[in-house]
Amino acid sequence: MTQEELNNLTVNKSVDARGTACPGPLLEAKKSIGTIASGEIMEVLSADEGTKRDIPKWANKKGNEYLGTVEESGYFKIYLKKG
Amino acid sequence: MAKLCMGLFSGSLDKLTAAGVILSGAAADDMDVEVFVLLQGARAFIKGNEDKIDNLAEASHLKDEFISSLERIKVSTWYEFFEMAKDLTNVKIYICSLAGKIWGGEKLEDFNDLVDDICGIGEYLTSAEEADIHMFI
Repeated sequence: MTQEELNNLTVNKSVDARGTACPGPLLEAKKSIGTIASGEIMEVLSADEGTKRDIPKWANKKGNEYLGTVEESGYFKIYLKKG
Repeated sequence: MAKLCMGLFSGSLDKLTAAGVILSGAAADDMDVEVFVLLQGARAFIKGNEDKIDNLAEASHLKDEFISSLERIKVSTWYEFFEMAKDLTNVKIYICSLAGKIWGGEKLEDFNDLVDDICGIGEYLTSAEEADIHMFI
């Protein structure tokens, strides 16, 4: 998806994990993905560089779809669709 | 579901923290986890000892920097990591009976709430044999 498409997604759940280092964002994502339904969208906000690789790999492995990442100033947003 | 077997020999703050981070990753992945706590590790699991662990296995002269950095970047304590992992996935923590005795822990009630049971070395090796991933820390 393009950055514009990602920014225009309707997000069902937003998880702000910017205050935590690895493995905090991954754990927050794991806890929150269980609260949304299949096909719904979750965004994870993180400032931890390792998360950029960690969450997409985790998401795909667990049967969810990694849609893309949007860079913001000092943090980034990762978009996932629950499988 | 993948199974992780961990031999936790070390009871130092740095290695307990590393073990906690790895357990968190295993929890995110819904792994079945068995931790076998050996020798030095068992001291950290004696009831009341969880906050008394402040030695490092590596670079002990940098202990103050290590501890202050963990606080600055808001890293959970080793105990919190273990608790979170147990909340999220099937994590069993077993104390080697010999290790427990060394530090004055003979029965399950001598250990903190993380601990599920006391076991012998045979169970550890069987778990390692059956696991998809085996780590020794």
